[in-house]
Amino acid sequence: MSVSASTQAEVAAANTESRRRWQVSQRRRRYLLVAPPMLVMVAFIVLGIFADVIAPGDPGDTNLLSRLEPPVFSGGTSEFPLGTDHVGRDIWTRVVHGARVSLIVVAIVVPGAALFGTVIGMFAGWRGGIVGQLLMRYVDVQLALPAILFAVLLGAVLGASLRNVILILLVWTWTVYARLIRAEVLSLKEREFVLASLAAGGSNWWIMRKQLLPNVFNTIVVIMTLEIPIVIVAEASLSFLGVGAPVEQATWGRMITEARNYLTHAWWVMWMPGLALMLVALSGNLVGDWLRDLLDPRLRNLG
Amino acid sequence: MQFVNLFLIRMIQTILVIWVVVSIVFVISRLIGNPETSLLPFDATNEDYERIREKLGLNEPLIVQYGIFLGDAVQGNLGYSYHRTGAALTIVADKVLGTVKLTAAGLIVALGLGLPLGVLAALRRGSPLDWLARLIAVFGQATPSFWLGLMLIFFLATKVSWFPTAGAEGFRSLVLPAFALGLLSAAGFMRLTRSGMIDVLSTDFIRTARAKGLNERTVIMRHGLRHALIPVMTILGIELGRLIAGSVIIEVVFSWPGIGRLMIESILQSDYPTVQAGLVVIAASITFGNLIVDMTYRVIDPRIRMAAL
Repeated sequence: MSVSASTQAEVAAANTESRRRWQVSQRRRRYLLVAPPMLVMVAFIVLGIFADVIAPGDPGDTNLLSRLEPPVFSGGTSEFPLGTDHVGRDIWTRVVHGARVSLIVVAIVVPGAALFGTVIGMFAGWRGGIVGQLLMRYVDVQLALPAILFAVLLGAVLGASLRNVILILLVWTWTVYARLIRAEVLSLKEREFVLASLAAGGSNWWIMRKQLLPNVFNTIVVIMTLEIPIVIVAEASLSFLGVGAPVEQATWGRMITEARNYLTHAWWVMWMPGLALMLVALSGNLVGDWLRDLLDPRLRNLG
Repeated sequence: MQFVNLFLIRMIQTILVIWVVVSIVFVISRLIGNPETSLLPFDATNEDYERIREKLGLNEPLIVQYGIFLGDAVQGNLGYSYHRTGAALTIVADKVLGTVKLTAAGLIVALGLGLPLGVLAALRRGSPLDWLARLIAVFGQATPSFWLGLMLIFFLATKVSWFPTAGAEGFRSLVLPAFALGLLSAAGFMRLTRSGMIDVLSTDFIRTARAKGLNERTVIMRHGLRHALIPVMTILGIELGRLIAGSVIIEVVFSWPGIGRLMIESILQSDYPTVQAGLVVIAASITFGNLIVDMTYRVIDPRIRMAAL
């Protein structure tokens, strides 16, 4: 017994229909899943921008009469919603101002590294030559070595300042863009539309701007998003090791370092900045993953 | 013969990497930093400065300094520590074992957690176990290692004293740092094993293996896992480097005696010869680790052509 052609077509149509519906529901579920981390990131940005309004106090104000006060939900007063640290500084104010430092660093380092890395990557991919080769060898070496050590070394030599932290993180992160953009450009170079433009006499500058850049743009956006949590954690690590922003600035990393000695009898001093850091890093990762799957699934095995 | 070629190429690469490292440290310490200011007290006189500059050879032109410095480095002399007694390289060598232990333990955690979880998650897609594995992967990838270390100390060393909070006495003190170090890599291994296993299970040769009546265990372990492990092998070298780099901050968190903590201390004391020696040792071990991974990789999967260097 054979199935008629029309039934077969119907079955096929139903199959595609159900698959389409499945895909739509899948996408909807991902929107729902990505909503909370998205909210965390928005909260992080708002806290960072409006730190002075949200927590008007001075994050460095000490008060030795109210040292190690517990947070309000653990028997403390509403004067210090998240408690105080070992010299009586208000942890809520410090966490909010720490968000500002992280935000400033991210806002400069991520676009800066993207710009620099893209320019180098495009150049090395399109023109190559000895300079391009040398640049990529340098990128290989830098990516193979423990960046944290060079960062700490630079930080110790340059001295503690926010400007130096930004500089160090720029040097630390631009290589990722350079390597990936170069690889993309190398493969785009062989594509027909680029060859056609070349044959039609398009200038290098024109091809790079009008044909290569639009094609690598998604990749750049995806890497930038994935780099946000990396940069935040890197900044916190530098502060944790004592070579980050100067002492008078409240940063999550420094708050965590200072709290280590009070771990046993005042848990909140370490947990408040730590939770903030973990939450933002986790959310940044989830948003980045989502955006990558949406824009550029080929980057999935980026690691 | 191929192996010999590969080995030679990699040796040259290693030497180049070390040269770059040594030069970077030279530039940072001599051009930007002032070694002499960190050696002398605040009230040192100009004559003191002059004497110490003379002693360290800092009065020569920079290019001459660099030449002397490279010449010494080639002979294995990386200078003497400014703050500890002895040759910088010896001081670093004393700490190598600590870092090797920690990194090895971290790798064991990463593989021991990542591979089985990846395989099980792939075999039971969509099950609670799969969700748990993915949750671990997401958390492992996102949590800063020093924060993870501190949380482990908080819960398992201060709330309940199952493990010591710091130090390196016996096996129990290795557990927490190894876990804090290995979780990030475990997440990576898990994701790769899971996706590799899912891909391989739908291939024809797995169906053939099942059709000829092999038991499921043999199909999964002998035929499936072997293929799923190839992508894992490719990132093993990168992960090894990451573990060595990650051990720096973990050593600080757990006061573990290793190169990382020595380096951070030396950097903060401006003890440049020790920093330099430490960086050279780390760079050499990372490139050497990559070489070993590369070799094993080619043994496991002969399809990799040597041309693909």
